[in-house]
Amino acid sequence: MTEPKPSPYSGPALQVQGLRKDFGHLEALRGIDFELKRGEFLSLFGPNGAGKTTLIRILSALTRPSSGTARVAGYDVTETDPEMRREIGVIAHDSFLYADLSSLENIRFYAALYGIEGAEERAVEVIDEVGLKSRMHDRVRTFSRGMLQRLSIARAIVHNPSILFLDEPYTGLDQHASEILKEQLQALHTERRTILMTTHDFTRGLEMCDRVAIMVRGKLALWQTVDHIDPAGFEKLYLEKVEQAGRG
Amino acid sequence: MSGYLRQVKAIIWKDFITELKTRELFSSMFVFALLVMLIFIFSINLSLVKANQVGPGVLWVAILFAGTLGLNRSFALEKENGCLQGLMLAPVDRSAIFFGKMLSNLIFLSIMEAFLLPVFMIFFNVEVWSHLGPLVAVLLMGTIGFSALGTLLSSLSSNLKTREIMLPILLYPLMVPVVIAAVRLTGQILDGKSLADMMNWVGLILCFDIIYIGVSIMTIDHILEE
Repeated sequence: MTEPKPSPYSGPALQVQGLRKDFGHLEALRGIDFELKRGEFLSLFGPNGAGKTTLIRILSALTRPSSGTARVAGYDVTETDPEMRREIGVIAHDSFLYADLSSLENIRFYAALYGIEGAEERAVEVIDEVGLKSRMHDRVRTFSRGMLQRLSIARAIVHNPSILFLDEPYTGLDQHASEILKEQLQALHTERRTILMTTHDFTRGLEMCDRVAIMVRGKLALWQTVDHIDPAGFEKLYLEKVEQAGRG
Repeated sequence: MSGYLRQVKAIIWKDFITELKTRELFSSMFVFALLVMLIFIFSINLSLVKANQVGPGVLWVAILFAGTLGLNRSFALEKENGCLQGLMLAPVDRSAIFFGKMLSNLIFLSIMEAFLLPVFMIFFNVEVWSHLGPLVAVLLMGTIGFSALGTLLSSLSSNLKTREIMLPILLYPLMVPVVIAAVRLTGQILDGKSLADMMNWVGLILCFDIIYIGVSIMTIDHILEE
C-alpha cells in the first residue's frame, strides 16, 4: 500500500478535549479526552450505543460537536477545512459506493473529487492493491459484502490519507473475508498513517493496535497501550468496565 | 480547469453514467409526460378551444409532473449506500454538489423536453418549427428555475420518510411564478409574438431563476449538514 506523504505538521494526529454531543435529551458523548500520535493504531471497543460512531462522525467533520474541541491533523473539525478532508479516509457501515457504477467508475469518481491528477491510473492502482482488479469493470451491485468492504478501502485511500477511521469494518464478513481485510489493514498501518478502528471483535481489534480504549455511555472507560492488556483476560475486563459504567 | 469545475463535472459525469446504465430516470419521466399529455388530449375538445391557448399549459404540467419523478430520484440516489456522506467527506464545496446535481437534472429534463416537443406538436397540431429558437429559450429558462428549486428541495426532502409526498408539496407552490410566466410565454410564442414583446414575462422568469439559484447556494450548506 502507498505510504502517505510526509507532513510538515508534527503534532498529534488526533487531539480531543472535553468533546460532548447531545441529540436533544440524549447525551451521545459526555466529555471525551484523548490524544493519538501519528502512526498509532487505536482500537476502540464498546457496546452498541456507546457513542463510537458519533465520535468518528465528529472527527470526520460529518457532525458538529455540542461542545469541546477536536483537532484532526492539526485542523479544527468545526472549521471543515478542505485540507483536513484530504488528510482523512473513512470506512463506515455504508460503503459510500454507487451500486450501478463499476468499481473503476466509483473510485475514479472519488479520485476526481479529491482533484487527483491521473484519476484513472490512481483508481486502477488502488483497486489492484485491494485485490479487485479482475472485477474492476463489474457493477458494485454484484459484489459480496467482503468485496464491498475491500472496495471501500480503495475509496478511502484513493487520496492517500494520513488518518483512517474504520467504523466496525468486520461487521457482516465471513472468516475468509475477515482475514483478507485484516491483511489489508495491517498493510495500511504504517509509521505515517494513524488508524482509529471501532470494533466488537476483541481478537481482531487487539492483534493490530497500539492502543486500546473502551467507550461506554459516551465516556472513555479505559485508555491503555496494548502492552498493558492481557488478551486472554480482555473480555472479562471489558464486561467489568461496561458494568461499572452502567452502575455509574 | 479549476478544481471547482472539475468537481461539478465529476458529479454530472457520475449521474450521466448511472442513467446510461440504468435508464430508469429518462424512461420513467418520458412515459409519464406522454401519459399526462395523452389524458389531456382526450379530455380537451380542440374544436372548441384553440390549441395555442391550452397546449402550453398541458406541456408545462407534463414537464412539471414528469420532472418531479426525476427530482425525487436525484438525491435518493445519493442516499443509497450513504453516498452523500462520501461526497461530504471529500474536499468538495457544498455549492459544487448543488450545481453538479442541478446541472444533471437540467440535462435530463432538457433531453426529455426534446423528445416531448415533437409529441406536443403532433397531439396539438401546432407548428413550432418557425418559433423554435424562442421556444427553446423559454423551455430552458423555465427548466433552469425548475431544476434549481427542485434540486434544493430534493436535497431537503431526501432525509424524510415521506420524500415522495413532500417534494411536490414544497415544490409546486414555489414554482407557480415561473410556471405562469413559462405558460404565458409559450402561448404567446405559438401565437407568433417575438420574445422582445414579452420582456416582462422574460424578466419575471429570469428573476425567479436567479432567486432560486441564489437561495440554493446560501442554504445548501445547512441542508446537507447532518
